Amino acid sequence: MTERYLHQLRVELPAPEESAAGARVRLADKFPRMALRRMTHLGLLIGATLDGASLGPEDAVVFASTFAETRALEDFLGSFPAASPLLFQTSIHPGSVQQVLIGRQQPIARLWPLAGRTRLVEQALLTALIEPALRVALVGGEERGTWMLEHKMASSRSFAFAAILTHESAGALGRIVFTPGAPTDTACPTLEHFAQAMAGRRPLTWQGAGGVWALEWL
Amino acid sequence: MNTPADQFPAGIEVCDCLTPFGDAVATAAALLAGRRALELTPVLGRDGGDLVPLALTGPMDESLPPRWLRSLRRLAAGIPPAAWGAARTPVVVTSSNFGVGSLYAFTRDRDVRHLAHGTPFASVDLLRNEFGWGEHVHVFSHACVTAHLGLAHAARLLHAGLADRALVFSFDFVSPFVAGGFHSLKILNGALPAPYARRETGSIGLGDGAAFAVLVRETRPFRLAAHALYNEMFHFTGNQPDSAGFATCAASIAAAASGRRVWVKGHGTGTLEAGRLEAEVVARQFPDAPLTGWKGSLGHTLGSCGLVELAVALAALRGGRIPGTVGGAAPSFIDAVALAPFASADFDGAILTSNAFGGAHAAMLLTHD
Repeated sequence: MTERYLHQLRVELPAPEESAAGARVRLADKFPRMALRRMTHLGLLIGATLDGASLGPEDAVVFASTFAETRALEDFLGSFPAASPLLFQTSIHPGSVQQVLIGRQQPIARLWPLAGRTRLVEQALLTALIEPALRVALVGGEERGTWMLEHKMASSRSFAFAAILTHESAGALGRIVFTPGAPTDTACPTLEHFAQAMAGRRPLTWQGAGGVWALEWL
Repeated sequence: MNTPADQFPAGIEVCDCLTPFGDAVATAAALLAGRRALELTPVLGRDGGDLVPLALTGPMDESLPPRWLRSLRRLAAGIPPAAWGAARTPVVVTSSNFGVGSLYAFTRDRDVRHLAHGTPFASVDLLRNEFGWGEHVHVFSHACVTAHLGLAHAARLLHAGLADRALVFSFDFVSPFVAGGFHSLKILNGALPAPYARRETGSIGLGDGAAFAVLVRETRPFRLAAHALYNEMFHFTGNQPDSAGFATCAASIAAAASGRRVWVKGHGTGTLEAGRLEAEVVARQFPDAPLTGWKGSLGHTLGSCGLVELAVALAALRGGRIPGTVGGAAPSFIDAVALAPFASADFDGAILTSNAFGGAHAAMLLTHD
């Protein structure tokens, strides 16, 4: 059995109609004004979930997002033939996490940005569990698309979550447990489903990667 | 503060790549001959624009099915048969572009068929269907250090007992999306790259590249012995001016390589500031090591460069001669820059490095019998 305990959990599930501009107003006190101006919706939400979470240069971040930097991608494509250098930078995965950490001038040892879909949550958790850093920030999120959403190539809602995973049970809110031994897979929660379970402190369990997964609350 | 490098040795069962020159053997031979795959090409393909150095396997304009699929079929033919994508034999796909050229094609042509493979998950789904992979396909995307992450992750899975063999598969094909982006940053311009050369203006080239490696826990004649990663988070497109980011990663991998006689295949895109910082750190950390780089010929294969250049390094080691810095020119930032090929017999290891946006640094130690 392998496990990590969840600390400093925060989830952002803004109203579906919230725009990046709206998030900029709502979350203005969490970011330097100069940085705020250039941040994407997903960057703002991730920054809010990491607010107060201290990370050091020996720590690691695991970042899960199926659609990643959707709005910057849409806007960068719209900037051709005079391609925008700023939108190009922010369209590149994992730009949203980098917006936050560069804003803080916060180096980290390792950053693991995942971009899958079907078993994304499981793979992000697996990546976190085999990470030797004592503190691993598990971060995930999406931002609502516009024209890409019309083609089912973007998330239908914006959300983000972050938790610090450690081996310390004291003061933990919950834990992630992987018990090897399950030969068959069952459906893995989607990233949004996982975020909602985190927000509602609801337990989850499924089978995959050769074992049984459990999200438990203490 | 230095964090120790991962030291989970993984045997390399098989590894190959695809570049405009062909497979790894053909690519190594072309580099040894000093050939450049880069050619001046309109930055937006059929939409025109300034001429910039690109190393392409075919016309850059996206097609249906996507232009990279045929190349990847050819490359994948060399992957040993296995139940790839099963829990014990996972696939790790690494890319910074995936099928993003198809999104550009859609915005230009409004043909919705391009969208079927425009996102990371859609392009990976296409590969899964094409190659019969199962659901256990881990997908990483971290700009130009992505392939290093995939190799390090695979080694961790093997050593955690979560996998018996792992296939790392990487692909990045140039499109107007990415060429236009780098052109907007002014570093993809009309000049051919001259990695590590002390000159007035820096420039990079971009290249098509794909590669794969099958890693196992057991030892093999060639092994990935260690991986070091570090993210300085100083600036999106710049590095800490005191080279602390380069130095931190280099110190970690140097500790893992202690006692070995190594050569260094650097990132060496052709930009001036990053090239100087990288070269100076290599000179300090590995004072006896020749420094070479191959992006002056192959262009920068972006998220795949770590795996493409690993495959080239393996082919070169088998042949006994390591290509020099094609496109480089004296004076270089440091004396140790190898402008000509050199024999591998004097060395028992190689350090292969890559860097990326956000001040991301990656290095791996390749060892051999």
